[in-house]
Amino acid sequence: MISHSVKVIFKKELKNYFSSPLGYVFLTIFIFAIGYVTFEPGRGSFFQMRQSDLSAFFKYVPWLFIILVPAVSMKLWAEEKKSGTIELLLTLPVTVTEAVLGKFLAAWAFLAIALICTFPLVLTVAYLGNPDLGVIFIGYIASFLLAGSFLAIGNFFSALTKNQVVSFILSVVFCYLFFMAGSPPTLEFLSSFSPKYVVNLFESLSVLDHFSSMSAGLIALGDLWFYAVLITGWVFGSIVLLTDKKQA
Amino acid sequence: MKKNKTNLIIIAFSILSMIFMIHIGSIIGGKLKVDFTEENLFTLSDGSKAILKQLTSPLKATLYYSKTAANKGSEGIKTFNLYSEYINSLLKEYAANSRNNLKLEFVDPRPDTKEEEAAVAAGLKRFNLTESETYIFGLVIENESGNKKIIEFFDPAGQENIEYNITKLIYSINNPRKKTIGVLSSLPVLQEDVSPYMMQMMQMQGRKVERSWIFTQLLKEFFTLKKINTEVESIEAVDALLIIHPKGFSEKTLWAIDQYVMDGGSVLALVDPNAITDTTSPANPMQGPKASSSDLNRISRQWGVELIDNQYAGDKYLTGKGRFSANSAPARILPLLNCNQKCTSVHKDAISSQLSNLMLIYPGAFKKVDFIKDVSITPILTTTDKGNTYTAEGYEFSNPAALWEKFSEGTKPLVLGYKIIGKFKSAYPTGITVDVDNKDKKSNVKTKTLTGLTASTKEAAIIMFSDVDFIHDQFAFKQNMFGTSISNNNSTLVMNALESLAGSKNLMSVRSKGKLNRSFDVIDKIEFEADQRTKNKVTLISGRIQKFQKELNMLGRAANENNIALIQNESIRKKKQLNRAIAKLKSELREAKREGRESIEIIGKRLQYINTLLIPMILVFIGFGIYRRRQKLINKQS
Repeated sequence: MISHSVKVIFKKELKNYFSSPLGYVFLTIFIFAIGYVTFEPGRGSFFQMRQSDLSAFFKYVPWLFIILVPAVSMKLWAEEKKSGTIELLLTLPVTVTEAVLGKFLAAWAFLAIALICTFPLVLTVAYLGNPDLGVIFIGYIASFLLAGSFLAIGNFFSALTKNQVVSFILSVVFCYLFFMAGSPPTLEFLSSFSPKYVVNLFESLSVLDHFSSMSAGLIALGDLWFYAVLITGWVFGSIVLLTDKKQA
Repeated sequence: MKKNKTNLIIIAFSILSMIFMIHIGSIIGGKLKVDFTEENLFTLSDGSKAILKQLTSPLKATLYYSKTAANKGSEGIKTFNLYSEYINSLLKEYAANSRNNLKLEFVDPRPDTKEEEAAVAAGLKRFNLTESETYIFGLVIENESGNKKIIEFFDPAGQENIEYNITKLIYSINNPRKKTIGVLSSLPVLQEDVSPYMMQMMQMQGRKVERSWIFTQLLKEFFTLKKINTEVESIEAVDALLIIHPKGFSEKTLWAIDQYVMDGGSVLALVDPNAITDTTSPANPMQGPKASSSDLNRISRQWGVELIDNQYAGDKYLTGKGRFSANSAPARILPLLNCNQKCTSVHKDAISSQLSNLMLIYPGAFKKVDFIKDVSITPILTTTDKGNTYTAEGYEFSNPAALWEKFSEGTKPLVLGYKIIGKFKSAYPTGITVDVDNKDKKSNVKTKTLTGLTASTKEAAIIMFSDVDFIHDQFAFKQNMFGTSISNNNSTLVMNALESLAGSKNLMSVRSKGKLNRSFDVIDKIEFEADQRTKNKVTLISGRIQKFQKELNMLGRAANENNIALIQNESIRKKKQLNRAIAKLKSELREAKREGRESIEIIGKRLQYINTLLIPMILVFIGFGIYRRRQKLINKQS
């Protein structure tokens, strides 16, 4: 089903993450940061709450992803553009779609590895009490889909510009906007001048709402659809941009 | 240039279609859900579904939630947004299972609008958040003829019972006739309704105004309550009989209960070896619990069960923490039994299985009597297998440490609640002889014999629990900023039992989505052990002080004019000795407390290091190893 070219690009890209220090630095920062904020001192701390669940962990995952996923995605195309290797890549006997999919899936797999590396937290709650492993599993699925959505946004902006910093900033802004679309302050601001259906429309775009509902242990078809459309939409956008580049 | 424009159009069109598809998808796809929670928080139970299937006429459910106001409010109010979404998804489940008989409407009532007016008129609670913002969060269900039932306010603390509350609303609007529960008690659980005006008048006249227990007030929402006199010859016209603390009942009343059961009646009996809420007993601690002990064994033996006399059920793994007096430090109290799913879920009975937060106070324990053919006797509430009985007398009632001294772990669970179904033999096969109230005083007959059924004619159902205090206002309810609310599953347990006995089996199976206890067992165990160590030190200190007092008293008695100076010196020396010993013990006590606290902190720190540093360190090592390998390869190649 997945073409040979996609597989080749996927393997090469994924290997690249672990053959340079960047991949290790990213993983180290992510795991250290998520561990730290989960155990952070204060009332919201996982250990202070004394509940065998990972709600404290899943609370912070989106916030870290807003920064760290664009950091992974910014180099996907911008670096190729800057160093000129994109021309070489696009002259190879692979389609733009295959190249985009290969790179995107490799980056997504890398983020999945980052999530898997947080497994000591699951062992910790299992050691301390009697966690609902079903809810934890769905929480991880939600985090994986969230990473995919943010990565798709980052992938688009990386394809748009050859400057990694610009790509990073634009990705962070858009990830934040999608994340906060359904938040109370945004909706309140919108409801002050927009009709109700616009507010509802905005609310349905909220990554936060879909993520919260899934990390509570409930998978709705609407949530899966949301992530599928979001990922497909942004990846399609990058394909359009890069196809244009190839034709040019 | 033209190409760029085309691209822009394609991308803009894609974004718009993406937004449109997400919106449509969330409307359509939101209905198809899979619930992965262990407690099935987002799934309706079979009872709810059965009740929804019975709907024959359309109902309209309107959820009022002041979302705009909540968004403008404090962080505390904003947290209600999550709960409102939970209610929202649950209601959608109701609608999906109602064969189109339940229509939903979600309203965000703004201040001074028709919507707000309708919500308040229906009886929902309205809170003023600011001068311009009001807050409403409730549900109105209305049938075709305009009858309305409401949940006036959704308190997140009541999430465990939310499905039951909503289903009950639907059930009650569809089944308007309330079941009648007879209430028979030696305690003032059910009083005449007195208007606030009358209450004020009575208070002004210096008369004591007795109020019903909150629990019976709650029961009135679901049932018609009929107070049964404690001197009664027969019990009739009730769907179920609730007996609370049967203390000092006459033979005639016991006979009436017996006959009610023989006739296939349903009974819920709350009995207690020591009902501490029984203030009708003389306040004499030395008299012991006998004065406030229930006594139903005379007839319950015929049902196959009896309350163990003068003994209490304890379980160190279920003890609750609390203060025994205002000045004492919080400690684990043996008479306080916090029953969680370990006490209920094993029995898989709809009455108790999903409850995980029950608090019993000085509960007793039941034992089975003889085997009775064709009678099913099922435990529905027990301690863990480490539970055991203990006795308490005199001063021990006010001294929790003394009770711990006497307590030892058991080897099998103690039964705190039984469900008994079957046909029984009467406890009064030859009837009873009662005094005759001769009004005309002409007849010389002073007694008469009452005879009745000697064995059950129909199958009867009996549920018994070995505590009375647990449904008292003090232990089952709490006051908060929104008024009185249920503080644990105590009242739910009794309601479950009554629903089960009075019919409506579907509703019974719905109740309580009991939240599973997911506390840190490891930490709880460490705390418990530390508590035990400090308790031993405290006992040691108290013992030393008592010994010193005795020695001082003996010295005092030995004092006379000749040796007074010597004895004073001896007293001072002993006092110094004692102070040193106490100081040493106190330092050991502090040490034991510190050790407990520190061992928890150490676990916390270790886990934090494992979760923050272990994997990063492994990654650094792997990365460094790969780097070294590559360097070697490069060096080799060069």
